[in-house]
Amino acid sequence: MAKYILKRVLRASVTLFIIITILFSLLRLMPIEGYFDNFDKVSSTEIQVKLNSLGLNDPLPKQLGRFYNQLLHGDLGTSNIYRRGVSINTIIAEKIPISVKFGLISFALSLVMGLALGIWMAYSTRTRFKIGDRLGTVLIVVVQAVPAAVYHIVIQFVGSQYAGIPMLFDEARPISYLLPILSLSIGNTAYYAMWLRRYMVDEANKDYVLLARAKGVPSGAISRRHIFRNAMVPLVQYIPGSILSTLMGSLYVESLYSIPGMGGLLVTAIKRQDNTLVQALVLIYAVVSILGLLFGDIMMAVVDPRISLAKKEGSR
Amino acid sequence: MSFFKKSADMLGDKLNEKLAQDLDESAVLNDEALAFSFAEFHPEAAERGGYSNYSYWRATLRAFFRNKTAVFFLCLMAVTLLFTFVQPLLPGQKDPLEVHYGEWGLPLNNVPPNGEFWFGTNSIGQDLWSRIWAGTRTSLFIGFSVAVVEAVLGILAGVLWGYVRKLDFFFTELYNVLDNIPQTLLLILISYIMRPGVSTIIFALSLTGWLGMARFIRNQIIIIRDRDYNLASRCLGVPTRRVIFRNLLPYLVSVITMRMALAIPGAIGSEVFVTYIGIGLPVSIPSLGNLIQTGRSLMQMAVLRYQLIFPVAVLAVITISFYIIGNSFADAADPKNHVN
Amino acid sequence: MRICNRVLSLLLCLAMVLSLGCAAYADGEGSVYRTLYSSEVDTLNYLETTQAVTTSLTFNLIDCLVEYDCYGNVEPALAESWEPNEDASVWTFQLRQGVKWVDKDGSEVADVTANDWVAAAHYICDAANDSSCYSVLRDNIAGASAYYDYTAYQLALPNAKDGTDEEGNPAKVIVNEDGEEEVLVEAPEASLDDIGVKALDDYTLEFTLTGSKAYFVSLLSHGAFMPVYEPFLEECGDQFGTSNEYLLYNGAYILSSFKPQQEHVLTKNAAYWEPECVYIDEVRETYNAEASSIAATMYMNGELDAATVSSDLLTAMMADPETADQIHSSRPSTSYAYWYLFNFDANFDEDYEPENWTLAVNNENFRQSIVHAFQRIPALAAHDPLNPTATLSNTITPSNFAMNEGKDYTSYEGLAAYTAEGFDYYDPDLAVEYKDKAVEELTAAGATFPVKVLMCYNPSSSNMANECQVVEQQIENVLGTDYIDIIVEAGPSDGFLAAVRRSGNYAFMNCNWGADYADPETWTDPFVPDSSYSFIYTSTDPETKALYDEYCALVDEAKAITTDIDARYAAFAKAEAFLLDHAFAVPLHTNEISYSMSKLNVFEGQYAMVDTVTYRYKDQHLMDKSMSIDEYNAAYEEWAAHAN
Repeated sequence: MAKYILKRVLRASVTLFIIITILFSLLRLMPIEGYFDNFDKVSSTEIQVKLNSLGLNDPLPKQLGRFYNQLLHGDLGTSNIYRRGVSINTIIAEKIPISVKFGLISFALSLVMGLALGIWMAYSTRTRFKIGDRLGTVLIVVVQAVPAAVYHIVIQFVGSQYAGIPMLFDEARPISYLLPILSLSIGNTAYYAMWLRRYMVDEANKDYVLLARAKGVPSGAISRRHIFRNAMVPLVQYIPGSILSTLMGSLYVESLYSIPGMGGLLVTAIKRQDNTLVQALVLIYAVVSILGLLFGDIMMAVVDPRISLAKKEGSR
Repeated sequence: MSFFKKSADMLGDKLNEKLAQDLDESAVLNDEALAFSFAEFHPEAAERGGYSNYSYWRATLRAFFRNKTAVFFLCLMAVTLLFTFVQPLLPGQKDPLEVHYGEWGLPLNNVPPNGEFWFGTNSIGQDLWSRIWAGTRTSLFIGFSVAVVEAVLGILAGVLWGYVRKLDFFFTELYNVLDNIPQTLLLILISYIMRPGVSTIIFALSLTGWLGMARFIRNQIIIIRDRDYNLASRCLGVPTRRVIFRNLLPYLVSVITMRMALAIPGAIGSEVFVTYIGIGLPVSIPSLGNLIQTGRSLMQMAVLRYQLIFPVAVLAVITISFYIIGNSFADAADPKNHVN
Repeated sequence: MRICNRVLSLLLCLAMVLSLGCAAYADGEGSVYRTLYSSEVDTLNYLETTQAVTTSLTFNLIDCLVEYDCYGNVEPALAESWEPNEDASVWTFQLRQGVKWVDKDGSEVADVTANDWVAAAHYICDAANDSSCYSVLRDNIAGASAYYDYTAYQLALPNAKDGTDEEGNPAKVIVNEDGEEEVLVEAPEASLDDIGVKALDDYTLEFTLTGSKAYFVSLLSHGAFMPVYEPFLEECGDQFGTSNEYLLYNGAYILSSFKPQQEHVLTKNAAYWEPECVYIDEVRETYNAEASSIAATMYMNGELDAATVSSDLLTAMMADPETADQIHSSRPSTSYAYWYLFNFDANFDEDYEPENWTLAVNNENFRQSIVHAFQRIPALAAHDPLNPTATLSNTITPSNFAMNEGKDYTSYEGLAAYTAEGFDYYDPDLAVEYKDKAVEELTAAGATFPVKVLMCYNPSSSNMANECQVVEQQIENVLGTDYIDIIVEAGPSDGFLAAVRRSGNYAFMNCNWGADYADPETWTDPFVPDSSYSFIYTSTDPETKALYDEYCALVDEAKAITTDIDARYAAFAKAEAFLLDHAFAVPLHTNEISYSMSKLNVFEGQYAMVDTVTYRYKDQHLMDKSMSIDEYNAAYEEWAAHAN
């Protein structure tokens, strides 16, 4: 196992290198107009000066070399446009804690509520009127059917117009955390509930459950010890990724509630063509998502001993 | 070897015996008078195999059609889809791009729904009813195209990624690379080169859309790839392709259908998202994405909310239909549910 | 279901904590103006950026040599008096004494002296600082471009290698972004002392210009002419303007809190030289990326003092009695003009038949038919459904832009016909007449009908998208789809200008230009040879060529007149009228008017042709209630009577 992880990490660094190289090449394709405030009135000398100062006139390997050299010194570089002249470390250090805070609270909330709902739904498929299943389905269906861009703004309006909660986030007012966290967790709650129900219903039909039932194992114990645990296996893969990805923030929610987090930073940086910031963010996000996938695989193997990641005899 | 043959023969004999018993029992039920009488040996009956008229797909469909809600939504979706395409051919329909003017030569903007404009008009006086259907056409086209790419590429890549360990490295890293090149950047570059339009959006969404599906399938495959029956198949030297198509995929039919059912609304959702960040379809090509985005900014005025509610309602009907149908089909696709 | 219970109790606890926190909160009210903003400044370095988001902030923090009253008259600010030499090429300013630089906490750092302007000019003209303000100095200040070119050459030198120029002589070459070798033109050595901004003593400042510029004072409200305290600038280095600590203030406000993507707080500067004109004590700007979706609601809740109303919400909000009496428009402004221009260098896809278009556009009757078929009011209604004619402009230079002794530039001979009461280009009968002539001539020349007309718009502006859809339908209705086929297409939202207008990737499109200074000459720039607009100068058609040569001769003639303003305006008016007579452009509108609910009185603020001064909160009061349209109109009448 350790060998396998080591291998994956080594490979990941190669992948990171490929990602960054591709990214650099793509960024050079961006229209140069985007680097200027007032492209209408600049002369060709000014264009050259600007490209020079952004380091865009250098050949690609030289630009890459500069970037890696900086990285080795623990420096992500300096923002060119988004906050000109400010070190990216500073920008990110201000934003990450806020997004992570919101992300973790809502993740925990949605995991607890999602699993509870999923279990209740799966359980109630075996009851007569399937009330839990029906109610849960309504929630899931609504969340699925209404685009996130819309239900977030509806939550904000309803919350502020009818419950008197302030529209914008304000650090000093704890009540202003309520709506953003609700908005953030509702989607994942539905997601976890939906898939857990699906996997549990599938699992409940399996022969070993039938056997356990026949043996007289109480149905609560069957649900907890067998059905739930097996149904969690595919979900477990996503959990480390979800936790890590909280530091990316949420674009919709953070823009609606004025939360100064990471959400939308990448999109803004790309649209504003702040190349150094884009590079830094892509690097961070890539590390996060690669680790998320790796930890997910490890978790999956831990939860279900039948899964093996390392090469086994007779495997392909 | 001879031992095997012998036991196989014995097995055959046993089967015949059992079959005969079964026949006897049915006879018992048919005619009580003949209870417990010995049956005569019929060579033809002995030749009969363990035939059953069970067909997986027929049973699945039967189970599916037993679910009234699902059937209702199937009909609803069929009607919606059909209507989307028939609508422009109906009499009295307006052009989605035509601006309507009132008596004073000024545009009839923000007219609430009435007999003339069924869903009202937008802020420059275009008919919302025809824009919504034109938008639904565009969005469904985008959704279907992206979902097809996602299904084909995603399942193929996911199965290979999960099952063939030699390819694990390649696919894991391919996934990591593609997943981490920001979609926004690609979309901006693609629309810079190709101009914003339907094909640009489809191309950009397909480019990375299949990754999620591939990862999903891969996780499922990893869970079951080392189960005993697959191990057995491998020991018996069954070719990989056969293992994939006979052992793995049938097992995953239910989860794949559900995932697929969500792929189309998912693609429409992505379209809404790219419109939100300002690089979606231009408003001269109506789509559910830009209709909803326009409607969002009008939320503040209660009288204008119809401009948000109508496109969201259409999108919701489509999404809910796909979801319910997908879920019911997934239930129906599980052979365990075929028994009762 | 034990889990459920635990979750419930957890939620209950959470709710209690939240409600406790809520009760502890109370907000105070002073003379505070609260507003939302949706795009964050990149930098506070006013010597580097010309973006409106930054200048709208820095113009409250740093004062200029002159300022304006609310009617657009120049008033002394940091300069108490000024004087040009006879040909208006050297200007001398006497500075106000005792004005202080203060830091973000309001502590005094130094006096404002003439050297502060010299230091700013030196900073901007150094290519290493890569300032967007440079183009203003380049065009106006003697010696600015020589120094810039020299520093740019020095910067490029390390990347250059030895090569040869076209004639084979040895030269330095650099590889440009397309991978081609380009000769690096050697720039002669220049020194900072050559830049025409000089401190004669601590309180006397002298500008030497590139030529005679009677309008020089109108340029001074640009970031390029803002002062900077040199020792502080040097101390900050690269960090200058990256946060409120790295900035010194001499304006009406201090940026006391600068949290990017969160809030800006502007606090009244206690050391300000004219504190009696600053009525608002604090300006609190909160960041919200979705400001346009929520601002109106927040205003109605009383959480804000100003909210912009987008044009698609406007009619509905005017119909709602609750909001109707709170909405008013912004004060009209003439620093920008929008015209539909024909492209003479068709550089678009074969599908849109560029050759056919080139034939058509060089035919004057064809252009005339489009000009007279263009009904502009419906197009403008896409921007402003309430009062579409408010921004309508019939000339290339907007009316009320330049005055000479009470006479508006656009009422000079030639242009007077266009600005006369009741004039409209739209004349369907005339359009059809021209159409018939054009069909005859163009058929003979081998053109095919319908002529495809590619019209592009920037999809990031929904108003422009809507306008194009309206225009397409309207012109096609008048002229018939057998004659022209207007194809509306979205360009890329990023890099639109480069991809569409600059590369000639359109046939007929809405283009705009912003004035740089208060003289009609600024409006000829888009039409001079080498501009990136319209490309009339590339036409090889003899008829068009002859017309264009005549236009250029008229412009050169006008530019040569520098002292007699009346004659100068008359000559420029003649040139401009010539362009319009021969249907080279369809003027459409001036700066878009926005609508808002705001407790500020729009007519109190400073007013000038340059937008930057209108951002100042100085001179403005916070009112109890937002003006209604009627109150606005009454105030406008009064204001306009004073202004002219």
